[in-house]
Amino acid sequence: MLKRTMFLMLLPAVALYTLFVAYPFASSLGLSFYDWAGIGPKTFIGLDNYRNVLSGFMSTEFYRAFNHNWVFFFWSLVLSVVPGLFFAFLLAANMKGSGWLKVVFFFPNTLSIVVVGFLWSLLLNPQWGLVNQLFKAVGLGFLAHPWLGDMKLALPTIIFVTAWRGLGFYVLVYLAAMLGIDREETEAARIDGATETQIAFRIILPHLMPIIATTSILKFIWTFNIFDIVYAMEGSQGGPAGTTDVLGTLFYRIAFGGLGSSQTGMGLGATVVTLIFLVVFPVSILYVFVLEKRVERNA
Amino acid sequence: MFKLKLPQRIAAWFFLLALAFANLYPIGIMALSSLKSTREIFMKPFALPAIWRFSNYAEAWQRAKFAVYFKNSILVTTLSIAAIILVASMAAYVIARFEFRGRRWLYLYLIAGLALPTRLAIIPIFLLMRSLNLQDTLSSLVVVYTAGGVAFSLFLLVNFFKKIPRDLEDSARIDGAGPFRIYWQIDLPLLKPALATVAMFNFIDVWNDFFFPLIMLSSNAKKTVPLGVQAFFGEYTVEWHLLFAALNLAVLPVLAVFLAMSKQFIAGLTEGALK
Repeated sequence: MLKRTMFLMLLPAVALYTLFVAYPFASSLGLSFYDWAGIGPKTFIGLDNYRNVLSGFMSTEFYRAFNHNWVFFFWSLVLSVVPGLFFAFLLAANMKGSGWLKVVFFFPNTLSIVVVGFLWSLLLNPQWGLVNQLFKAVGLGFLAHPWLGDMKLALPTIIFVTAWRGLGFYVLVYLAAMLGIDREETEAARIDGATETQIAFRIILPHLMPIIATTSILKFIWTFNIFDIVYAMEGSQGGPAGTTDVLGTLFYRIAFGGLGSSQTGMGLGATVVTLIFLVVFPVSILYVFVLEKRVERNA
Repeated sequence: MFKLKLPQRIAAWFFLLALAFANLYPIGIMALSSLKSTREIFMKPFALPAIWRFSNYAEAWQRAKFAVYFKNSILVTTLSIAAIILVASMAAYVIARFEFRGRRWLYLYLIAGLALPTRLAIIPIFLLMRSLNLQDTLSSLVVVYTAGGVAFSLFLLVNFFKKIPRDLEDSARIDGAGPFRIYWQIDLPLLKPALATVAMFNFIDVWNDFFFPLIMLSSNAKKTVPLGVQAFFGEYTVEWHLLFAALNLAVLPVLAVFLAMSKQFIAGLTEGALK
């Protein structure tokens, strides 16, 4: 009786998760060995899709997008961790009246990524956008650029907008980790004559390494899945001229349209997804390892 | 944690306020621009509106068919949150309260979903929905969000269940209550604050999601708010007063929930990231 009730209470979660999360990952791998347009005949073609993506007709686009994901990861990590730590340190001083800032800093994080993308594409409009008008108004007109239309500036601009939305998360997580550090250690150092800067770098920063690692892992997993922000600001082609194309948009074009009919395919799309997964998987394992340690701690 | 001297305090405040300004200014501009005419947005981008045109909202609401999108988003979000809470809390209760063989592996299997981005599995999900005849339905979204929400919600809830003292349950057990009744009548009411936190996180995720509606939905009558905003941007590229009003409308529900519950939100966030 007890066993049956327990089983029935676990069943919905396990079944839904297995059918719509776990199984689709396995199924994607299977599909990547087929040539299939989603309807009609399904032909087994072995590793042909992988050849096409890695060294064949899709390879130029694939490596370009892959490269953009790495650039995106590196810079958005720098733009999250460094200012994230900096502002967390400032908030940790716990100055009177600084509590409301936490709410303000986190606020952009609650906005939908597409809304953020559309908002900034209006603000960054070359002619009427606020950003360029601001530069012109203060006599810095030479800084006005067609941010999203410039092949060199478009990717950095999107990375910047992503950082604008995401920074608050890092500030709050680092702050919480700092406040969890044992006070005695910092107090003892202060009595021994350490300056606040020394305390920050020599005592607090080392304690934050695990959480910095965890947030970097999450950043990696998220970055190899980005799609919305590029789609909202530069469209599914990752314009201008593919300079902002990422694996997410490339995959979307292949699997769900936007390319010529001969290139559209679920099999080829599944191949790109499987390759993304191969990149993300080792990092995911690392994250599960981190989670497992927490499970043990809380058990 | 730190003790800052006066000049350092002034510098700290300068940086903090600069970031607050950088966070709020674009959003403030979005709000102000939604009350101007397009001409004013172009010509006087920094000025307050000459006339506060609240009619922009009525116009955007009608032209963008926002009533339909809001109805769809509210439906999907409410159903998904209810389903996630029920499904995840039942599983969390069993995992937190009972010892059984494979318990730890089952828990790890389920929270591994935190490291698996569901959108990488979109092709099989799409095909599955098609064979279940759920293509272009709001139900398909509810199913995907519920399945995708299990990992994170379970992860938070198991920790909360463990904090409930067992004595409360024991007295009910002596009175002959089965596990489901204990879960439903004793634990769930005690967990209301935790459930609110879970609901809030899922609300923001589900309300804001763009990717799954983009893939799953095709007809206009089924679109959710973010997808509707996208369609609107494609249609009215030059009428910026409507575009800004549409953005504000899309943001408003999230803003209201976040401001009303920001304390729990921040507490839940740090709990999830650190514990």
